[in-house]
Amino acid sequence: MIKIKPDEIKVLSNYIYSISGISIDASKAYLLETRFGKLLEEEGCKSYNEFYHKAKSGTDKVLETKIINAITTNETLFFRDNGPFDLLKFKILPDLIDIRGGNGKRPGFSNLKIWSSACSTGQEIYSVAIVIKELLGNSNQKFTLLGTDLSNAAVTQASAGIYNKFEIERGLPREKLQRYFVPAGGNWKIKDEIRAMASFRRMNLMQPFVGLGKFDIILCRNVAIYFTLSDRKKLFNKIADILEPDGYLIIGSTESLTGVCPRFIPKRHLRSIYYQLN
Amino acid sequence: MTNLRILVVDDDPVTRTLLTKRLIRDECTVDTAEDGVVAIEKIASQYYDVVLTDLIMPGGVDGIRVLEEAKRANIKTEVILITAHASVDNAIEAMKKGAVDYLQKPINFDELFLRIDKIRNLKMLIKNASDLREAMDITEKTSAETIQELEMMVSELKGRLTAIRATLEQSDVDPETRLRLALQGLDADSLTD
Repeated sequence: MIKIKPDEIKVLSNYIYSISGISIDASKAYLLETRFGKLLEEEGCKSYNEFYHKAKSGTDKVLETKIINAITTNETLFFRDNGPFDLLKFKILPDLIDIRGGNGKRPGFSNLKIWSSACSTGQEIYSVAIVIKELLGNSNQKFTLLGTDLSNAAVTQASAGIYNKFEIERGLPREKLQRYFVPAGGNWKIKDEIRAMASFRRMNLMQPFVGLGKFDIILCRNVAIYFTLSDRKKLFNKIADILEPDGYLIIGSTESLTGVCPRFIPKRHLRSIYYQLN
Repeated sequence: MTNLRILVVDDDPVTRTLLTKRLIRDECTVDTAEDGVVAIEKIASQYYDVVLTDLIMPGGVDGIRVLEEAKRANIKTEVILITAHASVDNAIEAMKKGAVDYLQKPINFDELFLRIDKIRNLKMLIKNASDLREAMDITEKTSAETIQELEMMVSELKGRLTAIRATLEQSDVDPETRLRLALQGLDADSLTD
């Protein structure tokens, strides 16, 4: 395997930061080699320097896309941490449906918009969809579920809704597996009724949020951990801008907004934390 | 962990004995079954890391059925099919159903052990990943509790400071009263639930 040199680490890290916001420090030589080793070979590059220049000069962004797919961590599972999903089921969704219904608009029928802003391969947003299905069945309440991720490959898989046995085994109770998935070859595919509830798009959180409208619930879990503090501040400010005034933000269970975005106030319910605008 | 539990399924007693001997030498724990029916019974009663089964056997239950039952019993069980040259197509069909590999008769033992080694390594990797994940889950859970506690505390403190500032800045109240009220604000309630 071709080794990466110290000066190459800096150049490549800067490049990765510029295309994705992901911040990689100099100690991560091993990470870069592991993630890009194969890609380097496929591209016929003899060094990371050559690799970087090829990516930078590619007008069709094909290599850039491959790099993004390779560097993003797709660590995700259905019902990750459980807490947020109980939160949605027992607190947030009931509250929102009540409130929206109670302010004079057609009771409970207005559209609830939910965004999974680092949806990876879709497990998170599908978990939300399943919670909604179980809570409301086939009620008239309309939902818009949007999943976005930086990685094209992840979004494509999310859209396909097909998971292998390892991805399924994590976090998904057997009875939910039987109820919401169908076998597909050696894999599992999410049932159409759930798949139809969500749409997916590739999106870079570092870019301006254009054309998204406002959301009632935003999930931004375990993605800000890859960003610098300064970028985190910008990110959550942008999120605050597109959250409904009485909307809810849910972040990763080990993340904190203290010192990051004072526009959000933490609130606790059961054993989970969520945030609302000041 | 390196000691794999293997079930050898073959209607030919010589094959069974040969495989069993060689596998035991390779530090495996070995069970045998003379046909598909017995195989399925054994699979139902205990877990095997690997099921090595002939594709075609008399008795009404063939290798494919054994494969299906093994996978149904435990998804972690790996199945290797043994086939005669003519039935390679069947073997490939079986791979699609989840068999991990197939070997042609007469069995090349070197090849067999290479495949079993691969399975061993695979299972070790999986265990590794699973251990890592568990460690991560526990760490995450503990940190999460701490961080959430701190988050709520900081938020509450901020609120309190804001209130105290407001009290101290009340120009229509005399300084002594302001101080008294501010101190009361400090003492009121506890910081945690």
